[in-house]
Amino acid sequence: MKKISIDPITRLEGHGKIEIFLDDAGDVANAYLQIPELRGFEKFCEGRPIEEVPRIVPRICGV
Amino acid sequence: MLSKMLEQFGIDGKRLRLEWVSASEGDRFASIVNDVTEQVRALGPLDWNQGGKHG
Amino acid sequence: MAKLKLALYWSAACGGCDVAVLDINEKILDVANLADIVFWPIALDFKYHHVEAMPDKSIDVCLFNGAVRSSEQEHIAKMLRAKSKVMVSFGSCACFGGIPALANFATRAEIMERAYIEAPSNENPNKTLPQIKVSVPEGELTLPELYENVLTLAQVVPVEYLVPGCPPTVDLILKVVNALATNSLPPVGATIASDKTLCDECERKKENKKITKIYRTHEIIPDPERCLLEQGLLCMGPATRGGCGALCVKVNIPCRGCFGPPAGVYDQGAKLISSIASIYQTNGKQDIEKMVNELVDPAGTFYRFGMSISMLKRKLPQKR
Repeated sequence: MKKISIDPITRLEGHGKIEIFLDDAGDVANAYLQIPELRGFEKFCEGRPIEEVPRIVPRICGV
Repeated sequence: MLSKMLEQFGIDGKRLRLEWVSASEGDRFASIVNDVTEQVRALGPLDWNQGGKHG
Repeated sequence: MAKLKLALYWSAACGGCDVAVLDINEKILDVANLADIVFWPIALDFKYHHVEAMPDKSIDVCLFNGAVRSSEQEHIAKMLRAKSKVMVSFGSCACFGGIPALANFATRAEIMERAYIEAPSNENPNKTLPQIKVSVPEGELTLPELYENVLTLAQVVPVEYLVPGCPPTVDLILKVVNALATNSLPPVGATIASDKTLCDECERKKENKKITKIYRTHEIIPDPERCLLEQGLLCMGPATRGGCGALCVKVNIPCRGCFGPPAGVYDQGAKLISSIASIYQTNGKQDIEKMVNELVDPAGTFYRFGMSISMLKRKLPQKR
């Protein structure tokens, strides 16, 4: 099956890639969006003082 | 403060010791050093991966 | 003069550094006059295969922001390094690890567990975790490998310059743009900021460095004229590189250390402990205990932006 990769996706915040699989007729059989990153904010905010959290989480998205 | 911080790094507080010893307290210095050496030896090597990609 | 070829990339980052470049407002036109941007995912639609096709050393300057914590990020860092004459570690994440490096207090397994399984907003009854390779009916899908630790750019490729900041200030960015335009970059290896600490450019009144209490930032409203450290707030100024114009301090917030350690300091956290300890007045064990209790989260406070370049770099695995 032919595969078209859009990598990276652009003009937004974050990382992503799209894999499009085409069948023999050239129609889209399926398309997958994948996010190839993880920073772990959900975990490393644990244990931080509460007044720090609103100063850490803006770094999830600087846009 | 260092002790509290090292605990957050997963380092046993028993690896750190603070003592004041004067230059004239030779015996006391030797005994403290031996003491700490044995204490750290009993704890075993630090499992420090040097922070490379694979830990 | 032929236009420079400029690339900007983001790794484990938030986009703030890219937005900071756009924050130079109309001066972006100066950048457009000076350079052709050949890769900039936040703003332009070039793909990785475009970069792969570029000849080696054909990019004049690459501003690389974000820390490195996956195989893809390392791969792109190496690719851009090969294609670029000058590689700039842009922003605190690329220089020191930054906020994403706080993840070094947890293991990769703990992070994946929390993000994909435990978190309350998840709907994941089968406890599915992302895999490096997965077969789907149409073919195969791949994802990069997440590393155990967060690394700086310089820990994976050689880097010519460092521009610190979370994000780097507009003034600093303009300094870099001007240096490129006039071909007057400093000697290779330089950190483009001040060589002195923040205290040097802070305009507050410094009198007597003696405190008997550490306050958390919500506990007092600081006097805008006096040194914040003298008022008992944990200002990282004494162990933070200057060059930011003391922006935070000017709005009555203590410095958080985003410019990293000053020249000559190897471990920022250790230097900060030493600074705080030297000004805190104690009279016996009880005072010391009080001080330690007031200092909630020393590791997260003192290594807020610099876990990846600290001496220990991460929390050690706990023996069972």
